[in-house]
Amino acid sequence: MSIISVKDVSFSYNEKKLGLKNVNIEIKKGEWIAILGHNGSGKSTLAKTLVGLLEPQSGEILIDQVLLNDESAYELRKKIGIVFQNPDNQFVGVTVRDDIAFGMENLCIPREEMLEKIDFYAQKVGMKEYLDKQPSNLSGGQKQRVAIAGILAMHSDILIFDEATSMLDPYTRSDLIEYIKTLNKEGLTIIMITHDVNEALLADRMLILNQGEVYAFEATNDLLKKPEVFRECHLELPVALEVASKVESQKIKEKLWEYVLTK
Amino acid sequence: MNSIIIGQYIPGKGFFYRLDPRTKIISVLFLMIAVFMLENITQLSIALAAAIFILLIGQISIIKVAKGLRAIFVLLIFTFVFQIALNTEGKILSQATLHFNLYSVLAIVLAFVFWRILLRLGKFKFLLFLAFVFGVYFILRYVGYGTDFYSFSLTIYEKGIEMSVFVIVRILIIITFTTVLTLSTKPTDLTHGIECLLRPLKKIGFNSEDFALIISLSLRYIPTIFDEAQKIMAAQASRGADFSEGKLKDKLKQIISLLVPMFIIAFMRSEELADAMESRNFVPGQSRTRINVLKFSMIDVYSGVFTLLCFAGAIVIKVI
Ligand SMILES: Nc1ncnc2c1ncn2[C@@H]1O[C@H](COP(=O)(O)OP(=O)(O)OP(=O)(O)O)[C@@H](O)[C@H]1O
Ligand SMILES: [Mg+2]
Repeated sequence: MSIISVKDVSFSYNEKKLGLKNVNIEIKKGEWIAILGHNGSGKSTLAKTLVGLLEPQSGEILIDQVLLNDESAYELRKKIGIVFQNPDNQFVGVTVRDDIAFGMENLCIPREEMLEKIDFYAQKVGMKEYLDKQPSNLSGGQKQRVAIAGILAMHSDILIFDEATSMLDPYTRSDLIEYIKTLNKEGLTIIMITHDVNEALLADRMLILNQGEVYAFEATNDLLKKPEVFRECHLELPVALEVASKVESQKIKEKLWEYVLTK
Repeated sequence: MNSIIIGQYIPGKGFFYRLDPRTKIISVLFLMIAVFMLENITQLSIALAAAIFILLIGQISIIKVAKGLRAIFVLLIFTFVFQIALNTEGKILSQATLHFNLYSVLAIVLAFVFWRILLRLGKFKFLLFLAFVFGVYFILRYVGYGTDFYSFSLTIYEKGIEMSVFVIVRILIIITFTTVLTLSTKPTDLTHGIECLLRPLKKIGFNSEDFALIISLSLRYIPTIFDEAQKIMAAQASRGADFSEGKLKDKLKQIISLLVPMFIIAFMRSEELADAMESRNFVPGQSRTRINVLKFSMIDVYSGVFTLLCFAGAIVIKVI
């Protein structure tokens, strides 16, 4: 049963340029998907069409078997949380606390509950000491953490991260990834847009976009065996895979693949 | 940069910081109306005493309020001159002819230069200004040599002095009240307070919640936009733009070359922000719970009673 199905979706910002070309995707509940692609390949565009912020010129999108359109968008958005690329332009509140609360306020969550959740998620992203700070006093990575906390607090079924961990320090990032793993085990569907191949390796399946088209959408362990796909799309390969593509022995190859996946 | 986002607000712990913003806004409104009902200097003096009393219990420094007065300094001087020159009631206090001739005009120019030089010292600006104004008056009055190319007679009446003092004290009191409000209330609390007070307007289609959200978003983005401007200026300077010199025409060009990218960036930002808000389930006009809630406490009751007493007192005076 697909929680997201994208059927033959095309989208263009203007006549000259197609943002997405005939995209077909099926994502099952509880899956972890990584979306990879060069700059301008349409990753953010796809994410925005999935939450109904951009309306495709053709094709249709179903979220939980419900057609996404202007009327259903408000209801469907409650199921999807998205963290955008630029943390500065999604900071709505005057303080960190206000910003984490914003989404919950819109969902009409009672105040007491909000306070508890703010504490919990601020702790999770390591921003508890900053709750009363204003965004102008925060670093880019700190704003990113706040944005993530604000989305996590809304308890959506599907989480989309559009390069949302790009500014985090390695320590915070791996902490957060661990937490996302537990959420994924609890049944949340995770979609991670990233330029970091190591982060993408955590996914069950990888979606590789190239010039607005789906270049590959396969299980991670299958894709690992096709380094040429990465090269053709100008993507970075983990060192171990680079090595694997060079060695002859099938045995060493398998060892290396295994190593990459368990890391 | 932060001084812009917090406006006049100065963090502190006094009495007024603990008051609910709604109480403060309403009280200031009522006290202002009360002050406008007073009719003579004696009554105003009592009000002034009350204003100073308010400052004292609020532990708000009079110096800070005085600084707030600087902004309306010109207004005060203008009121003063206006009242003295145009009010023709009561006893005549002084009558003098003011002479404009070669010598007096020269003397005024000298006095002006002297005043500007002294200003460089950076101290006693206000006193220096007063000295300059009085200096001009005395020069015009007593330097009567040679032929005047213009002269007129200035008569100062008792009522003129009285009214100017009256109006100035009234302005001072009102400024004191509003400064206490803005010094002790964060802009966010202020907007929240206004929002709550305007909520009844929902019946006639005015949504105060959305209005308050717009205000607080603006407050939120002011420092960001200033940072942006600085970045653009730095980027342009690093490519050889010079912002400090040049003719007016060059300056204009530079300003335009700064404004255009700033507008474009601001538009892009607001679009992304709208996307972010929408994706977090924001629907304009829809009811939402609030993380920040306002609560009245005992001190709000005390303050309310105090305000009411002042207001009632003013009405009683007016009626009698
Ligand atoms: N608001 C817009 N108006 C016009 N064209 C746009 C707009 N946003 C993106 N594009 C174009 O659409 C294409 C896809 O952009 P998109 O932002 O989806 O790329 P991306 O894969 O997210 O890239 P990145 O890795 O840099 O985030 C790009 O060629 C871009 O120039
Ligand atoms: Mg992008």
